Amino acid sequence: MSSRSEIFGAIQALEKREIAHPGDFKSYKATQDVVGDFKNSLSIVGAICVDAENKQEAATRLSEIYPDLQRYTSQDVVANGLDLEAVDVLEIDGMFGVAENGAIWLSDQFLPNRVAPFICQHLVIYVAKSEIVATLHEVYERLDGNYADFGLFLSGPSKTADIEQSLVIGAHGARSLTVILV
Amino acid sequence: MLNHAEASEKFIEDAERTTWHDETLWFVRSKRDKVSKLLPEWEALREQASQIKDHTLANLGQYLEEFEANAKKNGIIVHWAKDAQEHNEIVHSIISKHGGKALVKSKSMLTEECHLNDFLTKKGVEVVDTDLGERIVQFRNEVPSHIVLPAIHLKKEDVGETFHEFLGTPKGNKDPQFLTEAARQHLRGYFLGANVAITGVNFAVAETGEFVVCTNEGNADMGAHLAKVHIACMGIEKMIPKRKDLGVFLRLLARSATGQLITTYSSHFAKPREGQEMHIVLVDNGRTRQLARDEFRNSLKCIRCAACFNTCPVYRRSGGHSYHQPVAGPIGSILAPNFDKSANVDLPFASTLCGSCSNVCPVKINIHEQLWFWRQDLMKDGLAPLGKSLSMKGMAFVFSNPTIFKMAGYMGRMVMRFAPFIVNNSLNPWFKQREMPEAPKESFQSWYKNRK
Ligand code: SF4
Repeated sequence: MSSRSEIFGAIQALEKREIAHPGDFKSYKATQDVVGDFKNSLSIVGAICVDAENKQEAATRLSEIYPDLQRYTSQDVVANGLDLEAVDVLEIDGMFGVAENGAIWLSDQFLPNRVAPFICQHLVIYVAKSEIVATLHEVYERLDGNYADFGLFLSGPSKTADIEQSLVIGAHGARSLTVILV
Repeated sequence: MLNHAEASEKFIEDAERTTWHDETLWFVRSKRDKVSKLLPEWEALREQASQIKDHTLANLGQYLEEFEANAKKNGIIVHWAKDAQEHNEIVHSIISKHGGKALVKSKSMLTEECHLNDFLTKKGVEVVDTDLGERIVQFRNEVPSHIVLPAIHLKKEDVGETFHEFLGTPKGNKDPQFLTEAARQHLRGYFLGANVAITGVNFAVAETGEFVVCTNEGNADMGAHLAKVHIACMGIEKMIPKRKDLGVFLRLLARSATGQLITTYSSHFAKPREGQEMHIVLVDNGRTRQLARDEFRNSLKCIRCAACFNTCPVYRRSGGHSYHQPVAGPIGSILAPNFDKSANVDLPFASTLCGSCSNVCPVKINIHEQLWFWRQDLMKDGLAPLGKSLSMKGMAFVFSNPTIFKMAGYMGRMVMRFAPFIVNNSLNPWFKQREMPEAPKESFQSWYKNRK
């Protein structure tokens, strides 16, 4: 007998128990100011937040934050993930921002490569103010049916506290994250 | 092998380190309290998570089938393993097909449970743990002492020494920032060169056939997106029904674990990238046995946040290695006897049954009650340590008989007042590291009767 049928056999041999799924979770509406909360969460998770009226203003601010570093965007063609190793600053688009935790939903439809947000040294993500929601639940609602082949919530730069619980920014992923609100 | 009490005794020899360990974990627990209180719906979320997991376990067969069908549709290759041995063989057979000599692995408690590293090393495969804490303990030939903070038993001096030996960092340098950078450079080389990446799984979604992996460092993603082959290993209890349920668990997990709002990366893998091979290994290894036990079934709801470790007065002062199991702490002490009762009899006794673990558990597992159930079960099988079973029988006798209970209280007070040396001696293990309290003159019962 295959292990698969052994496992299913063991489960089916158990007495049937009826326990209903509780249904979708309704989050309490705690905040009206999602943009303000989002900014606050970004500062807690160690991200830099920039308000920009337009692309021009964003570009000016970015050259102040990352002077002397070459910036790439999703439009620059990258043949494979390994080539991104040489990228200092990568600019990409996020779909949704989440006020409660500073997370940004990224979908591989808008990424030059899946490894892009991790392998570059510094990461810049554009988020539209109109696309900021209160909690994770709303993101899943908004995504309904639109399942990326790969997607993620990203909140802040990569970090670790594995050495004596001292927080160090820049573990294996990006060393800094700048979020541009447009 | 040392039992829990003996191993703890070694751990607490270094009083300063024990105090640091104790206070650091308590600090993590306090952070969890703070962020959880910022959410007015915290208790409702715990209740929801608990109910979703109860429902999933009651319908596990159906959800596993649904997950398998959807994952296959997504182009993922699905494997089933009934035990640790089979899991390790499956992983090894995938690796050998791709001729990899070195592979990168991110944190997975399941692979620890199966002792995958040992197995692969013996077969000549170099396993590189990429989580910083896991890499540190791997260099030192140790195992993680905590499921979320693997190197919490070490001080930065220890890490500095280890990196000096293995990575050639300057002797005496113990700066966490510097050491982390050294590990980043060292591991990047492996990420860029590895053919095969192994990751764990935090949640698997039946509805979509996708799985979610959470890290702060980004190591799981660096491995999985660069390697030609991605193998994800999971216990069959990691299942959840729908994608929308993820919101509930992702809101609870990091807040409970480290007091963060969410982990830096929560990656949803649904399909392999072009040209990549993606495998998922679903492992039983005793889980269906636990599922059949009414008293212990809901230990399978665990999402491995380690909140119960951080709050546990015994764990904080005895260290993870004293549990001699890959998963230590209160939940580990419930899971371990399921694998091997007689090898783990000491663990359900490594608790004060104070209930703090159950109070913080995000999926509302009745952890302390299950520890108590195991004690009874082990007693019934005649496996409980002798001292414990005698005193438990004695206690049951005293508590069930009011006259003797009153007598015993009287005797206790007299002993403490007139002959304290009877308890304050080295034969009473409870007296180690403790002062006995002064005994009250009167029992609660007589005070209650005589009060005006
Ligand atoms: S038993 Fe509960 S508190 Fe402990 S690790 Fe599991 S989910 Fe977390």
